[in-house]
Amino acid sequence: MNSRVYILDVGLTRVGDHWKSSIQELAYESAKGLLHRNSRSIPFDGLVVANALSEISSSQQNLGPLIADALQLDNVEAIEVEAAGASGAAAVHVASKMLSSEHWKKCLVIGVEKMRDLEPSKITLAQALSEQAEYTHFFGMSLASLNALLARLYMSEYGTTRDQLSSFPVIAHKNSSTCEHAQFRKKFSRDDVSRSEIVSDPLRVLDCAPVGDGSAAIILASGEEMDAQQRRNSVEIVTSESASGRVNFFERDDMLEFMSTKKAADRAFLKTGLSIDDIDIFEIHDAYSVGAALICEALGLSKRGEACKDAVSGKFDLNGQFPISTFGGMKGRGYPVGAAGVYQFCEAFMQLKEKAGFNQVPNARRALIQTMSGIDSSCFIHILSTQHKG
Amino acid sequence: MSIPFWRNRDRYYRMLGSKCQKCGKEFFPSVLVCRSCHSTDVKDFEMPQSGKLLSYTLQKESISGFEDQEPMVFGLVELDNGVRVVAQIVDTPYEALKMGTKVRTVFRKVRTDGESGQIYYGYKFAPVRVTSH
Repeated sequence: MNSRVYILDVGLTRVGDHWKSSIQELAYESAKGLLHRNSRSIPFDGLVVANALSEISSSQQNLGPLIADALQLDNVEAIEVEAAGASGAAAVHVASKMLSSEHWKKCLVIGVEKMRDLEPSKITLAQALSEQAEYTHFFGMSLASLNALLARLYMSEYGTTRDQLSSFPVIAHKNSSTCEHAQFRKKFSRDDVSRSEIVSDPLRVLDCAPVGDGSAAIILASGEEMDAQQRRNSVEIVTSESASGRVNFFERDDMLEFMSTKKAADRAFLKTGLSIDDIDIFEIHDAYSVGAALICEALGLSKRGEACKDAVSGKFDLNGQFPISTFGGMKGRGYPVGAAGVYQFCEAFMQLKEKAGFNQVPNARRALIQTMSGIDSSCFIHILSTQHKG
Repeated sequence: MSIPFWRNRDRYYRMLGSKCQKCGKEFFPSVLVCRSCHSTDVKDFEMPQSGKLLSYTLQKESISGFEDQEPMVFGLVELDNGVRVVAQIVDTPYEALKMGTKVRTVFRKVRTDGESGQIYYGYKFAPVRVTSH
């Protein structure tokens, strides 16, 4: 029991408009290259599909067998995992436990989301589904509005200015400007962010992740099945942890602390004996600027109330002390909700294999991936490493 | 939507939450198990009808079913018993709101269901009028 788990290969589509593709076609698009490159001599035992919104966007459930069918993956166990915005990481969490327990030897994880088929008010509803329906969107409240209430609290508590809050979207878009698979390859200044259109005051359109279709796929395998060459070409998932907490942020004793993120990260560091200083890149769930700040604080990258100041100072840039969202994160690369977590794994893999092009962080050896549902109601922390111990 | 609404009508009409019979802590939305002492001896309990605004927002992008009410104002309210809720804020220009503004519950129409035509009602909050002499 307890085999090591490795990522062998990754594939993804650009995030954005995929009007011509169905949910199955989009999933196929992200996986086809990787299936072609990796012979099926070792058969796949499992397929885990990550998706959050197919019931609304495509009137479709049962994506496990539907996508196995589309990919001609015969004889696999095909399951779907939904954890709102954290679906992609939850799928990897499930897959890695299937592999470490030796129930599977090799599997495919595919995140796929179609959002652009929906009209805007339906998208706003779809994004709010992570929250407790009866007390939030029943009354017409969007996820952006809940984040806006949190942002005003944060700014008031710590004296954070609008200009400082804008620093997170600026980092995201700086990194996405050179990312081929990003929805927006465009830089913005703090002024651009602060003056963009209001979504839910004080949050502006550039504080919030965009709406896009996308699919990303990764092949995972247990170490047992791999030869030395395969291990050299792969990246190890050294830990996969999760925690959950109060769904309604306004019911938390401390509204300005992301406890699920903190708990999951603490577990990951305790299990591995690593600390944040051992990590070279941080892929974080920066779907809202205020969330990005609270994540950095929960992970210990910043002291409480200082994340925005640190962001302004360059601490989180590609060449800073703790690089975050190295291909633009949810904000810049784009946020196909249920698929977004799998994109983070693809990007961390590219960094650790030195295939990140303009976005390469030199000598990146370990990556931490933080993925959450809603406003940190649940969080998944994964640590990836290229340093094999044998 | 109409059956869940019917089921929750006391929650929406009277802000019926819960009170733990063991440790006395009060909750809204209602709970099945006390979040403080984990006792299952919790009973229905009506929330106080006033509180203060801790945060507020002007929502310009509507959720499906609320397009005709755009833009809407929402607030984070701390009730007099310390329980925090989020709700729509009405009867005030957005610009007049401040953190700490005293508010009281009001009973209003939430929306008309597009499919069933049923009208949903529920709690919202309005600033307490300060009478000047």
